[in-house]
Amino acid sequence: MLVTKNAAELCVLLVNELYGQLPSRLMATLISKGRLTVPHLAHHTSLNHRQVRHGIVVLVQQSLVFTFTDQDSAVTYYEANVDGAYNLIRTGKILDMIDTKFGRPAKLLVHDVLLLGHAEIAEVVRRYKGERTSQKKPGDVDPCRNHVNGDGALSPFTDSEEPDPAGEAYNVLAQLIGLGFLESVSTMTYQSPQDFKSTVEQDVLKDFPNGVRGSKQASEYDTRLRERMREIRAERTSLKRELEMKIEFEPSAKRRKLLNGGASNGLTLTSGGYWLRDQEGHTVIRLNYEKCLVELRNQKLAEQVEDLIGDTTAHVYRAVLSALSRKISGCQADPSTMTDDELMGVRVKTGEVYEHLNPSVDVSAGIGTASEDEIDIRRAEKIRRYPPETKGSSLRATLEEGDELMASDDEDYDHSAETGNGSAVNGSRESKADVVNGDVSPRSYRLRWMRQHLLILAESKQGFVRHCGSDEWTVDFSPLLQHLRYLELDTMIEETFGRQGLRLTRILREKGKIDDKTLPTMALMRKPDVHVKMAEMEMAGFLDVQEVPRDNNRAANRTIFFWFFDEERTLKRTLDNTYKSMVRCLQRLEVERRKKRNVLSVTERKDVKGMEEEKLRGDVYNEYIQFLELEKKLLGQVSRLDDLVAIFRDF
Amino acid sequence: MDEDTSTLKTQLYSSCEETANGDPGKLFTQEDLMALDVIPPKDVKKLLKIIQVLTDERLFAPVYMPSGLAWRLRPQAEAAKYKLLTTSDQVMAYEIIDNAGAEGAWQQDIKRRLNVQDHALRKALKELEAKRLVVQFTTVENTSKKMWIKANIKPSSRATGGPWYTDQFLDEAFIEALQGVVMSFIKNRGSYLSKSGGGGGADRRRSLSPVVPKKGVINGSSSPAALKSKKRTADAISTSDPTTTTTTTTTSIDLPPSSSPHKSRRTAVRLPLPAGYTEYATTEEITAGIQAAEVAKGQPLKREHVQELIDVLVWDNRVEEVRLGGHVVGYRAVRVAKQSTALDSRPGTDDFWEPRSNGLTTVPCGRCPVFDLCEEGGPVWAGGCEYFDQWLA
Ligand code: SF4
Repeated sequence: MLVTKNAAELCVLLVNELYGQLPSRLMATLISKGRLTVPHLAHHTSLNHRQVRHGIVVLVQQSLVFTFTDQDSAVTYYEANVDGAYNLIRTGKILDMIDTKFGRPAKLLVHDVLLLGHAEIAEVVRRYKGERTSQKKPGDVDPCRNHVNGDGALSPFTDSEEPDPAGEAYNVLAQLIGLGFLESVSTMTYQSPQDFKSTVEQDVLKDFPNGVRGSKQASEYDTRLRERMREIRAERTSLKRELEMKIEFEPSAKRRKLLNGGASNGLTLTSGGYWLRDQEGHTVIRLNYEKCLVELRNQKLAEQVEDLIGDTTAHVYRAVLSALSRKISGCQADPSTMTDDELMGVRVKTGEVYEHLNPSVDVSAGIGTASEDEIDIRRAEKIRRYPPETKGSSLRATLEEGDELMASDDEDYDHSAETGNGSAVNGSRESKADVVNGDVSPRSYRLRWMRQHLLILAESKQGFVRHCGSDEWTVDFSPLLQHLRYLELDTMIEETFGRQGLRLTRILREKGKIDDKTLPTMALMRKPDVHVKMAEMEMAGFLDVQEVPRDNNRAANRTIFFWFFDEERTLKRTLDNTYKSMVRCLQRLEVERRKKRNVLSVTERKDVKGMEEEKLRGDVYNEYIQFLELEKKLLGQVSRLDDLVAIFRDF
Repeated sequence: MDEDTSTLKTQLYSSCEETANGDPGKLFTQEDLMALDVIPPKDVKKLLKIIQVLTDERLFAPVYMPSGLAWRLRPQAEAAKYKLLTTSDQVMAYEIIDNAGAEGAWQQDIKRRLNVQDHALRKALKELEAKRLVVQFTTVENTSKKMWIKANIKPSSRATGGPWYTDQFLDEAFIEALQGVVMSFIKNRGSYLSKSGGGGGADRRRSLSPVVPKKGVINGSSSPAALKSKKRTADAISTSDPTTTTTTTTTSIDLPPSSSPHKSRRTAVRLPLPAGYTEYATTEEITAGIQAAEVAKGQPLKREHVQELIDVLVWDNRVEEVRLGGHVVGYRAVRVAKQSTALDSRPGTDDFWEPRSNGLTTVPCGRCPVFDLCEEGGPVWAGGCEYFDQWLA
């Protein structure tokens, strides 16, 4: 992550919000000065060594700094983990996501892991047990309550039979680790990616005592390096794969439940649960943000489908993404460590999608009717074996690209839908009927309708889904995300500069550089209007202008003005503006807190906390409620801004 | 002029006419003329002589090409006009205007090329005007330029701006109204208007796909989609039929009537059509629709003009292309889930019942005029910011 002034400010504010002033001061120094030792840190912050060590412990615990110990001098350096600090903002979103996907116990467990930063499995289970037992006492504080963005309104546990909290915790942890949401920590995880890479490189270089010479050795070195990287990754994920396999071998009904986040009461341990309890109690785990990001990306994409196509289709898309993302470990995976599966591009069968479809969704809704002679089945079922090439920024170019591929094999379309229900049902493990709104409708009926939604997604301009083989589906994330980035930019441009401003930018994006004479004709706008709009947008940094003088004296009337859309620069600028806006929201929150200091200090008291309504005087309570409203509004806004950051930077 | 030359001249001219076959822009190089087999082969000298004669008589107009000299035919009647000219200034000025054709010639350009005094040129042009050979006109590209054109032809559409211009002014109200018509046409053709909100409704519950068989329970021609594509388009246009070319501007400012569909949005939504749908509106169909609705005043809108309107809607992010197979392109409305359910459309006002937004459009800073100045300890900052005050209030 490129650290701009605004990004740095944001990270420091976030650390301050969650861990207080001391760590945030250290963080600020580390960001601005680069890697430092404890004495240097003490020097730059005017704190004493003891204080610095205190702060550093917190930062290390939360993985907010990387450490690097020089083998020869035994001096340890600390370096800010800016991405880690930024991730703090997503805590609330991640907890909500875990809650919807895996249920309340999973949320509590992840919450514990987050509080601890990283911790031994046994320790996490112990804490969880303690919380579950104390939950029974009325009026106790929900530990999720005071977390940033965490919504406090949760229903209490309603398990009728007395569950075994420890067993439950092991089961859920096994599930979360197996699916990649939690990961085991090794010493290497404390190193910054660059340090990690150079350590491995040094390691491999030892096999070349005379140095790497010539192209043959160079390529050998490269292969070795890649192998080594892969080995390390395999080591790191060995626990995950172990547990994944255990899920795979569970009986199918249970397996499905585990994959889709079914809960367990812990009375019987799953084989993964056993394994964790008996073998891995001392393994240290932490949250795997990358995997969580995949899940957040799924949510965002489904929201987009809901907005652009419709909500039934969005449900189907959710199923596609959830089926796909089992095989995806991160949004921007590094090709050098990708598994073969990932390199080939992951794809899913229609049947797999169906397994992930929420059974309560009425898939027969959300599509208009058309008669048979209005449908070109070959076009609908068109198979596109290769991803679109994103050349330049012109979306029209992408379309034509795809068409050429299409023309090359005209017969290439999916026949399975024509031959009736049988072949459309892949891996039919279950043939019992599902119940939709009181109507009994067989699985094949639902499958057929679901398939129609898939085809609509495949036909979408944005390319939400690619029909990549007979009854196979995939998502080309990178061009799709590019599309969404433009969509967000366009939303902002239309909001700020109106429909005509949007028109002008999109013309430039499609056509490249255009002089100021041609533009009005294409846009069907009056010349002066165009000029005013263009100047406005240039000021705001959405457009650039290039002056090409026709002769040497550079007079304005002898100069051609070329307007163009500098995608790279615009995205960067927008991203930084987003950081800045987030900073402003958080600063405002600080100011509001100071204003309401006296009310808030009362609510901080142990005997008041959790029982504000009973303990506070009416007017004070109202003031407190007002403040909560305001806080919710500001933090909600920060979280919406974070959605944009995710789209522009992370997904 | 001897008899031989005179016959050859006539022969060459008519054989050129034949070859050109009514194309006034057809160019003849020396080789082309030789190949016509009128002049004895290899007698280049003769050919050049004949060409000279024809050029003198204005029946040939020389054109300087990068590859060399070539000639264009000038009809007899046009050539005869040169006989009316009395001064060489007149001849030269007329020649330039003549060659400029429908684009017309800029007085300043004529002056530069003739290299004459201003008053001499003005005199020559006055005389030409008096002879009803040329007229002055203005081009929309630059209304302050003095342009001249031959009296018997009309300025090109580039000069008049085509149908979008009325007296050199871009007729924005007219364009807006037409955009509304095009938009509603595309929208109604390319989406399914569901009154029940959820989509299919009970009658479709048991069918296996949204594609209903041609001859089945539902008769092909009366199926909802068929009805929509054949009939609704007509009333879509008649509802928005702008006798309104002049009144649109006023109606789009006070827009109470169109707010009613918003309230009914729970029950009525637009749904996407099944993949592979072939009836999305094409440019030709939209053109025909507009012509049938007689929206356009005076001259009928041509296909290319309608295409311009559609392109603008694409750039406005209101419609998108769909390939219908081969090179046929159809259009459908974007963001069908949030498209307004109203049958007609007025561009820019209520295309969607819920506008798109994101973090930066809702936070005050996203549209703050002093964003770049805002700084803790600066002239403006978050704590004392009035935009936030308003937003939080
Ligand atoms: S805090 Fe206020 S002044 Fe500063 S950028 Fe935001 S809206 Fe503008």
